[in-house]
Amino acid sequence: MSNTSHGKRDFIERSILGALAFLKDATLSEEYAIRKGFLQSLDPRIKTISFLAFLVTAVSLKSALLIGSLYGLCLILVFLSAIPVSYFLMRTLLFIPLFSLCIVIPTLFSTVTPGEPVWSFQLFGINSIITRQGLGGAVLFVVRIATSVSLVVLLSLTTRHSELLKVLRVLGVPQIFVLTVSMSYRYLYLFATMVENIFTAIKSRVGVISHQQDGRRIVAWNIANTWNRTTQMSEEVYMAMLSRGYTGEPRLLSEFHARPKDWACLFCAVIVCASLFYGGHTL
Amino acid sequence: MSDIVFELTDVHYSYPGKFPALCGVDLTIRSGEKIAVIGANGTGKSTLLQILDGLVFPHQGQVSAFGEQLSEWSHKDEKSAHRFRKRVGLVFQNADIQLFCPSVREDIAFGPLQMGVEAEEVNRRILEVSGVLDIRHLLDRVPHQLSIGEKRRVAIASVLAIDPDVYLFDEPTAGLDPSTVRHIIDFIVDANLRGKTIITATHDLHIIGEIADTVYVFGRNKRIVMGGSTESVLGDRSLLEANNLVHIHRHHHDGREHVHHHLPLEPHN
Repeated sequence: MSNTSHGKRDFIERSILGALAFLKDATLSEEYAIRKGFLQSLDPRIKTISFLAFLVTAVSLKSALLIGSLYGLCLILVFLSAIPVSYFLMRTLLFIPLFSLCIVIPTLFSTVTPGEPVWSFQLFGINSIITRQGLGGAVLFVVRIATSVSLVVLLSLTTRHSELLKVLRVLGVPQIFVLTVSMSYRYLYLFATMVENIFTAIKSRVGVISHQQDGRRIVAWNIANTWNRTTQMSEEVYMAMLSRGYTGEPRLLSEFHARPKDWACLFCAVIVCASLFYGGHTL
Repeated sequence: MSDIVFELTDVHYSYPGKFPALCGVDLTIRSGEKIAVIGANGTGKSTLLQILDGLVFPHQGQVSAFGEQLSEWSHKDEKSAHRFRKRVGLVFQNADIQLFCPSVREDIAFGPLQMGVEAEEVNRRILEVSGVLDIRHLLDRVPHQLSIGEKRRVAIASVLAIDPDVYLFDEPTAGLDPSTVRHIIDFIVDANLRGKTIITATHDLHIIGEIADTVYVFGRNKRIVMGGSTESVLGDRSLLEANNLVHIHRHHHDGREHVHHHLPLEPHN
């Protein structure tokens, strides 16, 4: 049998296993959060508040240059936090076109953003004009998205997920919501592993799935089976919670220790944001 | 005051839409006892532990704990629920079910925090129980990254942090390596020496001699078919065979095949 048809047959399995591998790597890996680096050494509350301030600044500024300087600061922080810059750029810049390109392309043209023409050309027999205003708006949009995404990814890479969830409590998010999110996160890995194991078990018994129709049937069965197991497990987890005294109002551990270094970093973050706002106002 | 911890009278339980799980169980457990509940798969051992932990309630018959009737209504208010939870702790068979928090530290802290223990005392208990179970190095790890043995020890720590009077263990040594099994047996024995009541549901007949003085055998009829001292129960080969608890063991000695029943207290000829 040819490699092409073999590839087609494995499509469903490869897609699911690839998605699970990405999920584990992107959302569940704490490889960088446990490294010894600058951001990792900060109190998660201070770090999160500082990053929130950076984010607000990035979405409020109207100068691509100033937002770009914030992006530069983000890359310096990446370097200081023992994260390979190439890995970080690949992780963040790969997604930016997906999010922003579809939105930004129409705004380049005079039909959406009228203004001073920069370049005109024929597209499918239609005279298309890219305007200076459209180009400026698009650059601002992409830089803003790139900076915001990079800041969020950097925060999640350098902070353990359990700590990020604890920070939500400090920020006033209701405990029941935080508990629900943390439990979903906790069991995501378990169910991802379970689905992987099911595929391995199927493979060990029937070998390669011979037909796409069979593959779809197995996926459907898998979804139903996973649903059943999650329902059963949720009941058992609830029992385990009851068994340890849960009565509907969760009380969770919350311990942070801010040191002078953390307060100094928060102060610096505030100064940076204020300077950028001032710069944006005077430009 | 009576030293009876649990008293079950003609207890029946059925899971919704399923076959009955327990069909008329009578049982009395006294403070400080070391009890094992053995039986083949599906004979109702885990259901019994859930009933003793006040997680499910019998459809027929009565259960009393510490002299009070155990029912859904007895757990309706937070005070009475916490009073009971402080005295009875269940270590589930599947540690993944018991470890639902994002870190080991939070899992250990969960029980005491729900019961209103102050944060400082909770932290003291975390350090204490993690030392006892040799898991201090795991405190900031996420539960899904742990091995089965580590998860089981963390699950025990999460109950130990509550410091209950009664420990219920559901298959505590299933699927574990010999070293972890030893650690858990030592923990159970030590807890009993400290006056704790121990009730263990298990298949592992080899550990029963150490973790139990009294054994109850559950039969396929979902009832207790025999109860007595560990020696008397484990010495009754026909009873164990009839209840799927022993098997033929085949191995090699001096170059020839050797076949015998797998019984923990039987001398190996």
